[in-house]
Amino acid sequence: MSKLAEEQIKRFSTMDDNIPAKERVIAWPRMGRIDIPLKALLLNLGAKIVIPPANSNQALEIGVKNSIEGICLPYKLNLANYIQALDRGANTLMMFQAPGSCRLGNYTKMAQKTLKTMGYEFDMVIFDMYRNKMIQTLHAFWHVTRCLNPWMYFKAFSLGFTKFFAIDCAERMLLYYRPREINKGDAEKCYEKWLKIIDDCNSVILSKFLCYRIKKDFKKIKIDSKKQVPLVYLLGEFFVLLDPYTNQHIEKVLGDMGVEVRRQIMFSGWLEHVLKPSLFYKKESHRERAVKNASRYMKRAIGGECIETIGDTVYAAKNGVDGVIHLMPFSCMPEIVSQNILSKVSREENIPVLSLVLDEQTGKAGYITRIEAFIDLVKRKKMYKEKIKNDRY
Amino acid sequence: MNRIMTVKKVIGIPRAISYYGNYPFYYGYFNALNIEIILSDKTTTDIINKGVEKVVSDTCLPIKVYVGHVLNLLEKGCDTIFVPSLQSSAFKINNCSKIRGLPEIIRNVINKSFIMIEPTIDITEGISFKDFCYDIANEFEIYDENVINNAIKKGWEVYNNFNKMTNSGVNYEIALKNAIDGNIIQKSIEVVKPLSVVIMAHGYNLFDERISMRLIKKLDKMGVKSYTALDVKKEDALNSIREIGEIQYWANELDLTGTAAYYMLNNKVDGIIALSAFGCGPDSLMVDEIQYHAKEKGMPMIHLTIDEHTGEAGFVTRIEAFVDMLMRKKRKALEKNNIVEIPQKTVKLDRTLTTV
Repeated sequence: MSKLAEEQIKRFSTMDDNIPAKERVIAWPRMGRIDIPLKALLLNLGAKIVIPPANSNQALEIGVKNSIEGICLPYKLNLANYIQALDRGANTLMMFQAPGSCRLGNYTKMAQKTLKTMGYEFDMVIFDMYRNKMIQTLHAFWHVTRCLNPWMYFKAFSLGFTKFFAIDCAERMLLYYRPREINKGDAEKCYEKWLKIIDDCNSVILSKFLCYRIKKDFKKIKIDSKKQVPLVYLLGEFFVLLDPYTNQHIEKVLGDMGVEVRRQIMFSGWLEHVLKPSLFYKKESHRERAVKNASRYMKRAIGGECIETIGDTVYAAKNGVDGVIHLMPFSCMPEIVSQNILSKVSREENIPVLSLVLDEQTGKAGYITRIEAFIDLVKRKKMYKEKIKNDRY
Repeated sequence: MNRIMTVKKVIGIPRAISYYGNYPFYYGYFNALNIEIILSDKTTTDIINKGVEKVVSDTCLPIKVYVGHVLNLLEKGCDTIFVPSLQSSAFKINNCSKIRGLPEIIRNVINKSFIMIEPTIDITEGISFKDFCYDIANEFEIYDENVINNAIKKGWEVYNNFNKMTNSGVNYEIALKNAIDGNIIQKSIEVVKPLSVVIMAHGYNLFDERISMRLIKKLDKMGVKSYTALDVKKEDALNSIREIGEIQYWANELDLTGTAAYYMLNNKVDGIIALSAFGCGPDSLMVDEIQYHAKEKGMPMIHLTIDEHTGEAGFVTRIEAFVDMLMRKKRKALEKNNIVEIPQKTVKLDRTLTTV
């Protein structure tokens, strides 16, 4: 067993020193807006970077062409990002890996093989999520930059982290203000403006005030405070939730319909939970909350975000949320299990659940029709609830 | 008190998923604990249809079949059902999420009330095989360690007998039957067949005659000898995975990549048949791995995908075409080999011609 364990660990540390640190050009796969904090982090460590273009139909086409038929959607997009980055001059690819959960653990291995057969030369740096996560991450960044200045590390990491938090703060505000705004598009404009400010910010002290300033600025938007806004939780698979291209901008679609969305997986929350040493992490993490809530339906974690999906749905039902939208890529193994369980959760906890399966074939029109029908149902249910409440008094 | 003692303990084992690999062990273990085993019927279209009704359409065929078997057991009046959760077989070597979450699916999908025995193996989290066995026994209120250890020993005995027989080349069903009866038999003398293939598939797909549509027997009739995961020792399979430059990632990778790699490296077979259920996550990766190496070696390979709608006619046509292709390839290779010897003779003939 120990030999196997060693082998397993070795497969995820495939760093080699073929490329000198000065010639390294670093790239990483895209997911939502994680390019902003990572850019700040790597530039402050003195590295050269290439940012592949955001996920688009073109990227998906490249990914589908070069990957196998049965693999899930996130891999196809990741592979396309790698190819686009390598074409633009990158020679070092960075990716995190959470082995033993689902097919995610095999992504980098497959991507390496595919890219090598395509004739690219590169070094893939993987930080594995086994143990000593913070040390692993630091080691990976040291490996690609060979930066020895502790002040630079402090600056880079604190800037990166605060930017992650600032982006999520802006996103939360956007999700709150979008359905309530009087002039359509105000919140969106404000969000875009702040993304730019976050991107340009390069001072550790100033970055600490970003969240405060974002909140203050969003409060200037005129809102209709009497509007009845149904609340919907958005949950499911990690990548699909966080990447707006993959989920076809579902947050915007829902916001324009006048629905407040609360996404259950925020990148900053996940990052904090994963990287912070458990000594300093006092509050209840998302996963712990999910395990507690899901205990009636699930007794064990089975990989992926299955238990989070179930736990969050139960949590939503307990807190009077009007509906739950569950997103998953096609043929995702853990989410199929949760889809099976969700039908029972929905029935017993009396909460409407819509499961949306996404892949490269998903058509926008049919997708929106389903969401519209679901939102109609949620709104009517909310109205009915209000009516009963009013009749009583 | 007396009445409780006389009531015989019963456990229902669905004839799906882990049944195909581990039944010999379960048989020995439960028998030694004095627990009667009720098996569900062999898979029929009816069982599949019942399973399909209960689960989401994206679920893969083996899980649908499993749900059908559980329903079948409930219809038979058995209300204690054995649904193990096989999480990981070694450190960070996990099973497919659906196999890991079998008890979760069964608990939430079936609305009838029944007792579910749901032990877990999870080496990564430190839940060993021994804990698994103790869990089962404790559910039946057996706490005596000697009895349990003895039962585990009995289980391994049956399992090892089964393994010995299958490794020497005995047919799966005959081996299972004899292992349960406590016999060890040797392989009967076989007619040498012109072609041989290796089938890379999960046991629960391949040995279920309804799911695999009697693939092995069909190949047998066409004159093709088929090797399966049962013919390979586990160490050999693991070593072959390393030898082709891969690392084991899935718990059941030995059955697929390991077996195919073993025969591919030994040059024992003419072709590879991959049989997998539609939408199977691990298979999509493992088949791809083998496809990559087969291409390098120039070994023919076919990937058969099955689901509940697969028609037998189309399935047979594909196999026939593949076997025909193998036959043609082999004939051509033989002819080529013959040609190497023939030129010397023809040269002599030419001389005679010129002299005449």
